[in-house]
Amino acid sequence: MTDFSLISNEALRGEIEEFVTRPAEIERNLRVFSRAHPRMQAIALAVIEGEHHLCDRLTREALEAGHVAIEVMDDGLIAGMGVVGIKFRENFIFVPEVLACARAMKSGMAHIEPILSASGVPPAGKVVMGTVKGDLHDIGKNLCIMMLRGAGFEVVDLGVDTAPDAFIDAVEESGARLVGMSALLTTTVPNMGRTIEAFIDAGLRDDVQIMVGGAPVTQEFADDMGADGYGKDALACVAEAKRLLGINA
Amino acid sequence: MSQPISPMTSRQRVLAALRREPVDRTPVCNPTSVATVELMDLADAFFPEANRIPEKMANLAETSYTELGFDTIMPVFSIIQESSALGCKIQWEQKDNWPTVKMREPIWRDVEDIRIPPDLLTHPDTACVTEAIRILRRRHGDEVAIIGKTMGPWSLAYHGFGVEPFLLMALDDPGKTMQVLERLKEVTIAYGLAQIEAGADALTLPDHATGDLVSADYYRRFLKELHAEFAARLPVPIILHICGRTVDRMPYIAETGMAAFHFDSKNRPDESMAAVCGHCALVGNINNPETLFARDPEQVEAEVLANLEAGIHLVGPECAIPLQTSIENLRAIPRAVRAWHSAGGGARCHHHDHSHNNG
Ligand code: B12
Ligand SMILES: [Zn+2]
Repeated sequence: MTDFSLISNEALRGEIEEFVTRPAEIERNLRVFSRAHPRMQAIALAVIEGEHHLCDRLTREALEAGHVAIEVMDDGLIAGMGVVGIKFRENFIFVPEVLACARAMKSGMAHIEPILSASGVPPAGKVVMGTVKGDLHDIGKNLCIMMLRGAGFEVVDLGVDTAPDAFIDAVEESGARLVGMSALLTTTVPNMGRTIEAFIDAGLRDDVQIMVGGAPVTQEFADDMGADGYGKDALACVAEAKRLLGINA
Repeated sequence: MSQPISPMTSRQRVLAALRREPVDRTPVCNPTSVATVELMDLADAFFPEANRIPEKMANLAETSYTELGFDTIMPVFSIIQESSALGCKIQWEQKDNWPTVKMREPIWRDVEDIRIPPDLLTHPDTACVTEAIRILRRRHGDEVAIIGKTMGPWSLAYHGFGVEPFLLMALDDPGKTMQVLERLKEVTIAYGLAQIEAGADALTLPDHATGDLVSADYYRRFLKELHAEFAARLPVPIILHICGRTVDRMPYIAETGMAAFHFDSKNRPDESMAAVCGHCALVGNINNPETLFARDPEQVEAEVLANLEAGIHLVGPECAIPLQTSIENLRAIPRAVRAWHSAGGGARCHHHDHSHNNG
């Protein structure tokens, strides 16, 4: 039973009908958006369309109208970013469009974050992310970070060419229990294993979950190097983060 | 049906294949980089020096001809020589990694920031390449094809603006993006001409508008005409290189007048041949990370065969080969090509080429 008419915002309904094709994802989006307030639907649409000025204004207006920050974040910004991830995975949109959507999301989050931190609402989870030593490819890692933030995670971004020690320091400083590593070069994939060894040597391996990704990395490589998780794209990265931290999807 | 073709030198073979004319056998070519750590040991020329000292650069580059039996020599192992001359900060790295631009520290924000320095062609990192080409030409005469490399404006913009800021610019302000590309194209032309003057037989032109980052429509709107201009203004065969998924934009590429397109293993040889429809030659597409780096000569040979059977004009790796690739796997490429031709594959190949020339 897929009744798209449950989504009142026509343009948003069009997006879901056209671009979301996996049954489980259709169901999830219908569930989220059919109960979302029209203002939230409009915010989600602004994220999907990468309209940052609009998203900024709609978020501000929703908060002024009395919607709570969590609702605006979950039903508007995060829900919209979920659709963006699907459109990117299915090649309906490409990196520039995702960057614009993330910019829109960020303009909305700028209003949400101060409220959440003042009220002490904890983030979904904390993740340390970085591209490993010797590797300067970061587009995929950055997309993962955008989707993680889009899903409510707090992310410490270590950038590129990250030495094992820098991962360890970041974990100790932030208290994050999840580390994500990215590598795009066959020459740098072994540095993932070396970073995992460094965590063992530092006596910290049992305190953190470690996930890995990047085009040359496979589930098999991930298992061999002793990682806890692997994701093949940004949506899988979010799913792995939730699984490893025991957060319900 | 096919006339027997008298034996050719590597150079003749490569240049004929780039013109899609008959060849005595399919040439083996890597228009990006063949540097590996094993070859560095053999040539006693290591990164980072082999990217910065002409003699070392030439010594490492010629191993593709002398040690591997490829038909080309490509002295540029990186994609950053002219970006260094433009003022980008470079991380030169060590023996076991390629140098890169520190794109986290962009040098440009706007069109006006782009200035082509007077020493573009005399800067040590650009002059290194032209000097290496001269050395190689002196050493190898007309035996082997020497290929130069000049970066396209899209890739240069990644280096100067940072990838993400530039991609957002392309979305937000297409007019400004065109101005950026128009300015940067002069770098591509000037550096290309300098290498031709130094003796390059052909030029690789990497311009990373790949399907992993942007849609085919970006290629059509921003680059197709510029690439046609390169093909017209640079008086040697141009090999466009874009790694990643590209089959959706190959029909546009085929209309630019570029002599050849160097394609990635994310695109099948047969679908790629269909996509360019006989309008340009194809170079490729042996997989780097999974096959050349991680498997055995037999698997390399199987991929060579798939390319030959599809009628690919020049066979070789898809992009800069991983630095830890074994020489054994690389030597399997020319060996498989020779074996296929002596088993009669060559006859089919010429036939194939003729039908393309006529059609
Ligand atoms: C763009 C690009 C570049 C850009 C990088 C810009 C940047 N800031 O990142 C530039 C042009 C600068 C560049 C430079 C180089 N590159 Co490059 N590059 C690419 C290219 C074309 C696309 C990579 C990309 O961004 N893809 C898009 C993103 C979205 O995909 P992704 O990174 O895979 O990420 C997704 C998933 O993997 C996953 N994921 C990623 N990280 C993580 C982490 C976790 C925890 C999880 C769960 C998931 C996850 O989610 C992401 C989103 O869906 C690839 C070609 C290809 N076929 O992939 C070559 C490629 C990666 N490069 C290659 C090479 C050789 C180089 C250079 C050495 C070139 C040279 N000769 O100088 C240098 C290396 C510099 C260095 N030391 O790192 C080779 C690597 C070969 C190998 N495997 O060893 C490739 C594969 C090309 C090829 N076919 O051979 N490159
Ligand atoms: Zn490439």
